[in-house]
Amino acid sequence: MYKLFIKDLKLFFIDKKAVMLTFLLPIIIISLFAFAFGGLGGKRTSQPIDLLVSDLDQSASSQKIIAKLDSLEGLGIKIKEIEWAKDQVIKGNYVGVLVFNKGFDESLKNNEPLKYELLYDEAREMEVGMLQPVLIGNLMESVGKESITQNISSYMDDKFPGMSSIIKDQIISDVTAEGGSASFEANTELTMTSLVGEEEESSNLGLVQAVAGTAILMLLFSVSAMAAVILEEKENGTLKRLLYSPITANDILYGKMLIAFFISLLQLTIMFVFAWLAFGLKLFVNPLALALVIIATAFAVSGFGMFLASISKTRQQAAGLSMLIILTMSAIGGSMVPLYIMPAIMKKIAIISVNYWGIQAFYDIFWRELPTIDILPKIGVLIGIGIVMTLISIPLFKKNIIKLV
Amino acid sequence: MIEVKSISKSFDNIKAVQQISFNVKKGQIFGFLGPNGAGKSTTINMLNTLLEPDQGSIKIDGIDLSEDHEQCKLNIGVVPQEIALYDDLSAFENLKFWGGLYQIPKNELKERAEWAIKIVGLEDRKKDAVKTYSGGMKRRVNIAAAILHKPKILLLDEPTVGVDPQSRNHIFETIEQLNSEGMTIIYTTHYMEEAERLCDEIAIIDLGKIIAIGEIEELRKISGVRDKLIIHTSDKQEIEYECESIGSEISGILENHKSNGNEILSIDTHKANLESIFLKLTGKQLRD
Repeated sequence: MYKLFIKDLKLFFIDKKAVMLTFLLPIIIISLFAFAFGGLGGKRTSQPIDLLVSDLDQSASSQKIIAKLDSLEGLGIKIKEIEWAKDQVIKGNYVGVLVFNKGFDESLKNNEPLKYELLYDEAREMEVGMLQPVLIGNLMESVGKESITQNISSYMDDKFPGMSSIIKDQIISDVTAEGGSASFEANTELTMTSLVGEEEESSNLGLVQAVAGTAILMLLFSVSAMAAVILEEKENGTLKRLLYSPITANDILYGKMLIAFFISLLQLTIMFVFAWLAFGLKLFVNPLALALVIIATAFAVSGFGMFLASISKTRQQAAGLSMLIILTMSAIGGSMVPLYIMPAIMKKIAIISVNYWGIQAFYDIFWRELPTIDILPKIGVLIGIGIVMTLISIPLFKKNIIKLV
Repeated sequence: MIEVKSISKSFDNIKAVQQISFNVKKGQIFGFLGPNGAGKSTTINMLNTLLEPDQGSIKIDGIDLSEDHEQCKLNIGVVPQEIALYDDLSAFENLKFWGGLYQIPKNELKERAEWAIKIVGLEDRKKDAVKTYSGGMKRRVNIAAAILHKPKILLLDEPTVGVDPQSRNHIFETIEQLNSEGMTIIYTTHYMEEAERLCDEIAIIDLGKIIAIGEIEELRKISGVRDKLIIHTSDKQEIEYECESIGSEISGILENHKSNGNEILSIDTHKANLESIFLKLTGKQLRD
């Protein structure tokens, strides 16, 4: 029994793929999730959240509150015109826009419900969740102080018209320092409105995430398996026979890519049609964009599959590498855990994965309901990934596969 | 038909083929005989354009291989050592696929596949998936896939490895039929009897070099190997005679024994064959 144990132990460590899959893969996945969910020793420095502000009131009090918000470390305030700001939020470029509507100053003076609101992107739920307490706490304080200041000031002006401004300021300062904002709590309530995806149940974010995230993850697996067929052809001799024939090595690679592309198209289409039939996904919200994103995603993923096959020398190696790279990429790219619940840093890292671009493009169609022109950049990135992967695969394919035939 | 001049091929520090030269005439069956690792497959792979020689030149039907790969590929059919077929497809589907790579017009392709499957004698199983075939049947389809484009030259790299005697005979008959129809054949093997049966001319190759080349009779002369006749006598003696031809010399030898009064118990004859020629030329058994 002991000898068997030693023999199997030796064999296990000789098989580098098995070692990699057993130890390295779980370590990578654990690290990614730990990082994503804040498990790195609790010493993470939080990134400021960029918040757009539109000041339609243009009053002294609104500007004063904006200046106060801008001084906060946790917020990066950008003052923008309302329509532009809303467009950026809809496109997912910013978490939200804090709007000081016309009449804000009046509502403050009259102790009425305040005319300001936060228009936000529900797809960035995590950031909105982090923003909410920071924003509300500081707004309550600033708005409360501002409101007391204005009320006392007008009372003094009314009752003691001759009072010097120094004494008046002293009184206001003393009052506001004693936490006088509490009595204005009811009126500081911030209205929050999601700018995207609230119209119909069938476009809910969870469904879009489930379909797009899973579709791309499964697509990567199936395409890498298909690309690995090239290694099977090498092992059973048919690749050699193909090379005896008048076709070229490039023809073989493109042929394999074509089938991977075609199956990817089919797989993605079937998945979305299924989501439409079974869960009522709004499939026809933008058919042109959907077709383009499916084509671009299929192209990027099949290029990626060819890359995986080209860097491997055997099918086993391809299987191990695919598992490692696909799971890592899916973890950071939002296939496994939605990016909207991940911290901002993970969203920045996510852009290196093909999953990210595909999922975001599907968000743009089904969640943000953007026009095709606004989705084109993501489509461009996906096609770029496909082209780059193919260009890298050609020499690798010739080096690792053809030469070793 | 094939002119090979001083070709060499090395892989890292291993000299797989060194300065090999030979000519194959049109309609000939030319054999490459040598043990595993002798350089046969490397030579075949240089002839079929899969490998480029480090030096030397190859002409196929007058065309320099380095100048027109594509035309040379169309002139050559290759039967690889492996069974290079798609197991899940039927023999007929396999043939149509492989034939399709050789610029055979679509309307002719079916006809060609029918012809090829008939040549290898598998018409009745043509619609069955290859995975249901015996090893010998797969080898026959392997050959059929190489002749669909009716090449001028057929290269067969050890086509009978692991084949049962019946299929082996069928393969021999197929090769002989194709040759009788004008196809030039290059056949590599490490089986002496195959080379003896099929080949008009044989190149004996070992350690990447051609040791001897010629018809069997020529090889025998080159090697100096002669037929052997061993006579076992009643006084337990074993007398060995070497002769040019046992058939023509045996009567004289037996007469001589009789006149000496020795009673003959038994006679063994050993014809000079490729085995003995190979042993003499290389100093080792072919299956070493």
